[in-house]
Amino acid sequence: MSRLNKDAVIAIFLLVASGILFWSTFSIRTPDYGVLSPAAWPRVIIIALTLLSFIYLFQSLKAGPSTAAADADRQPGIRGWFIYWQNPIYCFALFLAYLLTLPILGSLIGGLAFVFTLMCVLGGISGNKLILHAALSLVTVGGMWVIFTYGLGVILPPGIIFSAF
Amino acid sequence: MVIENVIAAFNELATVHTVLLMLIGVAGGLIAGAIPGFTIAMAIVLTLPFTFSMPAVQGIATMVSVLVGGLSGGLMAGILTGIPGTPSSVATTFDGYPMAQKGKAGLALGIGVWSSFFGGIISAILLMTLAPQLANIGLEFQPWDYFMLVMFALTITASLAGKNLVKGLIAGVAGLLVRAVGEDEAVGMARLDFGSDALLQGFDFIAVLIGLFAFSRLLHDVRDPASARKRLSSNTSGENLSVKIEHLAALVVILKHWTLLIRSALIGVFTGVLPGAGGSIANILAYDQAKKTSKNPEKFGTGTPEGIIAPESSNNAVEGGALMTLMALGIPGDVTAAVMLGALLVHDIVPSPTFIAEEPVLAYSIFLSFFAATFMMLGLQSGMLRVFVLVTRVRMYMLAAIILGLCGIGVFAINNVEFDLWTLLWFGILGVFMRQFGFPFAPMILGVVLGNIAELNLARAVAISTDLTLFVTRPWALFFLIVALFSAVFPVYQAYRGTQKWTLFYLPVACFAVAGPLFMMGGVPRTVLAGVVVMFGAYTLWKRAQAGWAFERDDAPELPVSEG
Repeated sequence: MSRLNKDAVIAIFLLVASGILFWSTFSIRTPDYGVLSPAAWPRVIIIALTLLSFIYLFQSLKAGPSTAAADADRQPGIRGWFIYWQNPIYCFALFLAYLLTLPILGSLIGGLAFVFTLMCVLGGISGNKLILHAALSLVTVGGMWVIFTYGLGVILPPGIIFSAF
Repeated sequence: MVIENVIAAFNELATVHTVLLMLIGVAGGLIAGAIPGFTIAMAIVLTLPFTFSMPAVQGIATMVSVLVGGLSGGLMAGILTGIPGTPSSVATTFDGYPMAQKGKAGLALGIGVWSSFFGGIISAILLMTLAPQLANIGLEFQPWDYFMLVMFALTITASLAGKNLVKGLIAGVAGLLVRAVGEDEAVGMARLDFGSDALLQGFDFIAVLIGLFAFSRLLHDVRDPASARKRLSSNTSGENLSVKIEHLAALVVILKHWTLLIRSALIGVFTGVLPGAGGSIANILAYDQAKKTSKNPEKFGTGTPEGIIAPESSNNAVEGGALMTLMALGIPGDVTAAVMLGALLVHDIVPSPTFIAEEPVLAYSIFLSFFAATFMMLGLQSGMLRVFVLVTRVRMYMLAAIILGLCGIGVFAINNVEFDLWTLLWFGILGVFMRQFGFPFAPMILGVVLGNIAELNLARAVAISTDLTLFVTRPWALFFLIVALFSAVFPVYQAYRGTQKWTLFYLPVACFAVAGPLFMMGGVPRTVLAGVVVMFGAYTLWKRAQAGWAFERDDAPELPVSEG
């Protein structure tokens, strides 16, 4: 997909999103008091976004097909896309797992697991790396947890496992 | 009165705990600044969760210290490795690295450190003296003027996206939209929440900032598996660890070029005042000016001291200017100041024209901490050289994993709300998309930070009078509208300068247009200023007519997109 197509697709996405958001402004209740309706400001913003998205779409279409090879080091196809974006996808997936397991593992165990796993996934597990990754995770996440819990008095999610002790 | 406030502020800051936190802040900022790809805004945003439980003065002093440290940390990496630690030290590498390569690394570092110090001090003095004056002008602003000021700030920030003006504007508007989600500021009605209780609370803008800025940046940096496993810099040799900063020799060199130092610092302060333009632009502008005014421009790029003095004094002076508009008007001068505004709001400090008058001790504490942190930076930078060099040997993937982990804990700690972590994730994904498709961050961040200010002032304006023409007939509102329009056209002007005849009229017409509201404001100083602006416009027009409407030589520098 050329750069132009990507821009045009984003512009269309923005237009659709603007439409949905504008429609949702009609469900905003207007109280009997106050002069400016609570829906007025979002509507102004959404109208501006719509106009800008139209200009963006027009510019994308006017520019014509792009011949520049974007992401030259990317292989074609879905597999190529995945390989190109694998590291950010791993980061998101692991962060998502961290969020979903937060009620069970809590900030300390979950944070340690997240940082350690991410380091191993991104950096590999050969040689002494496992020990290095474990030590770094323990020092940084553990240190941060201690600072927040005991230094700043912030109650971080303990999780079911940690609470049991 | 001022002396009393300064003494009271000094007493607030002069505690062992606060001084220690400031030292840690400066050291942290210096290290963060030394890490290539780690911006100052990221450092501040990641420090924020640590400060929220501190008293306001202590928390803000720590944040200011990180800011000052971050401004100077970039020069170490830039001079020793040729890779700028932050975007605001890009120009420092042009001459700093060649000088180090010639065996004068100690002198290059000395010039950089002392230029940063003097730039910071000049900026701090201007901040302390001019911010209260600017606040006095700000007292004239009514809701219509404030609303237009926010629109101007967003427009000029978007215009700094250069060729991507439309994308910049879309990003700015999207930022406003993000802030509009949840209960409205004026009457507390639910908006754009789609029935979700979590969305009803709105997005915590610190989580949004960390997601957009830090999260997405780190993911971008580890995108390529091979480079993610490499050290941040492979240019750090053992030789660099034994470099000694030549303070005395550097001071002698700087004193020889004191006019350049002051001029560059003033360029920095002015760039900082301008919404959206930060250190990344100031250091290039100052370097360009230094080269143009030098007796030996051909030596630039080969390791001349002027090429280090100009960018380093200007990039450290930027934040004084940015804090000036932030403290006096509540409008952040750049992304870093926008993050600082977030930090102030977390501590229930709302900067506005009345802030300095109503909370003088707090305001002067911020001024003084900027001043004190600059001195701390000087001392720490000399002692921590070894750390800076070692920190550039870290592998990117380790840094990314650790910071993402810290984000996961720090963001939760701000409000103790799990939804903020989801906000972090979604805006991290959005940030990656924005980077990939060329949408600038600065307008969106300013939109998020200024969204509620714009709405509140719009609501106040409409509550006072339903006459919407006041948005274009009040002098200040008209002034900001005109400047916003010209700044929106600026990228087009830049693109066609030297090829289209109409560009010859851009500057004169801008001068005539801006003079109008200045005349309308009345009073002798502003009428005189308006007269000067008109005369300058007329002179430019006359000069161009004399030259037969020929195009001028275009040797303006290519300015980077300000990211913070």
